[in-house]
Amino acid sequence: MFELTELQHDALVEIFNMGVGSAANAMSRIVNEEVAMSVPKITFQNRADAAMALGDRESRRISGVSQRYEGSLSTDAVLMFPEEKSLEIVRLMVGDAVPMEELTEMEQEAMSEIGNIILNACVGTLANIFNTELQGSLPNYMVGSSSDILSVGDKSNDDIVLMLHIEFAIEKHRIDGYVAFLLDMMSMHDLRQHIDNYLAGI
Amino acid sequence: MTQTAQDMDAEVWFDLSRNVLKAVNIGVAVLDDQQTFTIWNQWMERHSSVLAKDAIGKRLTVLFPELENSRLHGAVQNALESRLPALLSQTLNKAPFPLFVTPKDAREGHRMQQAIQVIPITAPGMPTHCLIQITDVSLAVNREAILRQQAIELRSKMHSDGLTGIPNRRRFDEHAEESYRLAARNGQPISLIMIDIDFFKQYNDHYGHLQGDQCLIEVATALSRAIKRPMDLVARYGGEEFVVVLPDTDGEGAMKIATDMRSNIEQLGIEHAQSAVSNHATISIGIATHTPTRDAGKLHDLISQADEALYEAKHSGRNRFVCHADLPPSSDTY
Repeated sequence: MFELTELQHDALVEIFNMGVGSAANAMSRIVNEEVAMSVPKITFQNRADAAMALGDRESRRISGVSQRYEGSLSTDAVLMFPEEKSLEIVRLMVGDAVPMEELTEMEQEAMSEIGNIILNACVGTLANIFNTELQGSLPNYMVGSSSDILSVGDKSNDDIVLMLHIEFAIEKHRIDGYVAFLLDMMSMHDLRQHIDNYLAGI
Repeated sequence: MTQTAQDMDAEVWFDLSRNVLKAVNIGVAVLDDQQTFTIWNQWMERHSSVLAKDAIGKRLTVLFPELENSRLHGAVQNALESRLPALLSQTLNKAPFPLFVTPKDAREGHRMQQAIQVIPITAPGMPTHCLIQITDVSLAVNREAILRQQAIELRSKMHSDGLTGIPNRRRFDEHAEESYRLAARNGQPISLIMIDIDFFKQYNDHYGHLQGDQCLIEVATALSRAIKRPMDLVARYGGEEFVVVLPDTDGEGAMKIATDMRSNIEQLGIEHAQSAVSNHATISIGIATHTPTRDAGKLHDLISQADEALYEAKHSGRNRFVCHADLPPSSDTY
């Protein structure tokens, strides 16, 4: 399995924390309320293990927002929450309790926007710090099992998943979510190269 | 598409593209790298009453000063600088642009519900531009408002008693379960009150069922008036029985509520010629209190104890309350 040195690992954690920090600021401005986000942990896993860790066996329903990024690094990025948590987040953000068990069409759109903000902030910060540029697609909302959600891009199973554990806090609620970056071997190599260049530069 | 464009005469392609922009049923506006409008399609003209000739050449925040430092403004900057696209949902962004579905809406100031996409446009030898694409989602928003209203009504119907309008047995079951769990977690007392209208069968037989229903409605309303906190609940338990959940309330607190309830019913002064204890309707009350812990105490026992207390109240003459306070078992009769 792909390993990073401790230094490389810490650099990535720091970059992603800056990313979600700016996403939290953007979201605070939208809802006029304190929103806090942090990335306590990142891990590298293969796709099947990642799906399993997210409750594939219990056929837990996950709601995901994905975006494709291309440039000096290509990846499909997916923000994921257990479905009931995505209801909680959207309804906390919107400030409206709807007694329905699925996100309505408009709420799905809101969830896509939240995903768009978080993913763009992570990738934007990464690109900025690596002094490179990545182009992104618009967000896409999906609901399904974790292996369905992680099948975006439909690439081979030996893809590596860079998994960010995200802690999200709004009003007194704490919600855990994940951002997965699906990386093929080539992109994985590019990522390591970028981190090394960055570390050499500081 | 681009393949066709290359095969096509550039001028024909240009005219065709321009007419497509005119025809599409979405708002299309394009900003250059200085955030100055370079494209403003007919849809935008129609819904904003700003003509293309007046929009083109103006900066975003000059044409719309209210957008300065808004989320839309940030999304445009981000698209131009980082080339990352953004989605602005109707739900989280209330109508950023002054767009109106009809002239009447415009006069009344009702803005169109908008879903907006901000997309960077790049081409070789050209600075980055930014496409703002706007969709009218008013219909979907209205449809969801109706759906939401119906869901709320349905839920409230599911949880209220058809006759008296107060919470029903189903609502009680859920609320009691949750309150008991909370009491165990916080180590707080919880009280339960069972209430029965005295000689209600005789009331029904004497005054008829319609009058009996009226009596139930009045009693339900009077009992509900005695609770003040949102976590307290009065529900119809069945027939002429009512139940009250009082979280974070000890036996003493519950007896105060019971006293208030009795005096509320007293004040109603519902005539009851067939009552053996009074000439108007009265109630018997059983109270039980627990201070459950994580490993001790069951809601089921609390309900049975309140039931037993009610039974005692009835058998010791009715029109009174009996309280079974927490362990050690003791019984106070009033």
